Amino acid sequence: MNRNYIFLTLLMLVLAAGTWLLKKPSEFKQIKPNDLLWEMIQPTRYVTTDQVAKMIIQKDPSLELIDVRSANEYNEFTLPNAIHIALDSILNSANTMYFGIKGMNVVFISNDDIKSDQAWVISKRLGYKSMYVMKGGLNRWYETILDPQQPPETAPKTDFEMYAFRKGAQLYFTGAQVETTSTQKKDKLTIQRKRKASVASGGC
Amino acid sequence: MHVHELNPKKTLIVLVAFVLLLLIGFLTMKKPLINYQLDMKQSIEMLYDSNAYFHPSKLVDVLNKTEQKVVLIDLRNNFEFGQGAIPGAENISTVDLTREENIERLQEFQKQGVTVVFYGEDQLEANGPWMLFNQLGFNNVKILLGGYNFYREWQDSATDSLMDDSYIRGVPRYDFTEVAAGSILSDEEQNTDKSSINITRRKKPAVASGGC
Repeated sequence: MNRNYIFLTLLMLVLAAGTWLLKKPSEFKQIKPNDLLWEMIQPTRYVTTDQVAKMIIQKDPSLELIDVRSANEYNEFTLPNAIHIALDSILNSANTMYFGIKGMNVVFISNDDIKSDQAWVISKRLGYKSMYVMKGGLNRWYETILDPQQPPETAPKTDFEMYAFRKGAQLYFTGAQVETTSTQKKDKLTIQRKRKASVASGGC
Repeated sequence: MHVHELNPKKTLIVLVAFVLLLLIGFLTMKKPLINYQLDMKQSIEMLYDSNAYFHPSKLVDVLNKTEQKVVLIDLRNNFEFGQGAIPGAENISTVDLTREENIERLQEFQKQGVTVVFYGEDQLEANGPWMLFNQLGFNNVKILLGGYNFYREWQDSATDSLMDDSYIRGVPRYDFTEVAAGSILSDEEQNTDKSSINITRRKKPAVASGGC
């Protein structure tokens, strides 16, 4: 009679011990590899420098810029209100709390877009939503916002509208002094007066 | 006295059935084809491993066929691939990468010790798939720095332009701080502009220069 109970108990103990062999689940919740690949090929995961500039100028409260460059680079220059999170410490709980906040759009920035894209892949694997990468990074920020180039005369109208916006954004981000540079950019001013013939140069 | 104790064999049968059911359940559990092999920490460490990157200068050996154990995989779509690709490259669009036959192919390459190099239009396009496949345990998958764009730039001009490091990403190419501070750029231009104003005064004619 008791033998059965002992047998049962032993079996349950063996089975319970067997659960040790199961793979320890990761401490993070992750999305499936296929889903991650699917997220990767969505072009909507990139935002342009113009979009970011517009959001900053309009003081969009949903914008959350995250600078993944080194601390030194961050201290020297960054975009307004950007938070610094180094790529190698992105999974610290103090840092992950910035991700996945409802109603916030996280935009990763770095010098180019590779490092920010890497940060995106890492955080996306954990399933956070509303994550974006600023395409071209700060180098393109410089080319398009801090120092926009005038489009050629044959360019379509939209290019000129874009240029007008960028010129305005340039003033916003660099301060008003820049305006003086654009007016000063005149051609070299060389005044060469015509030599007046002297009254008495010729003669009869 | 419980009912089942009347027949000790009954307990045994139930037990065997129970264990069998568990075993069948475990054995028929469908194993997903791909799974993360690197945890989050390793996935980040992998990014700092210079071995995971494939520099364009190494392409020369691949194109000369002196390096046989490298397979190039073009991740762009079929249309872009048709318009031009690195010679010898195979086209698997990013969307199709996780299809069963492609996974099996990549596993075969890994077994044979063949290096697989992913490339897209630029480094960015291949960055995600490259990271994913390394996280899936394909440690033979590397990324071509500069992507197809950089290859196209130097393909005709041969080796000398390989010294060009414009494909390196992640470095600031401008001095952001100076422009953001505003004044430096403008001050310089103002000064130079001012000094270049060049007024040539007319020569005063001597009163008695001409005359009869």
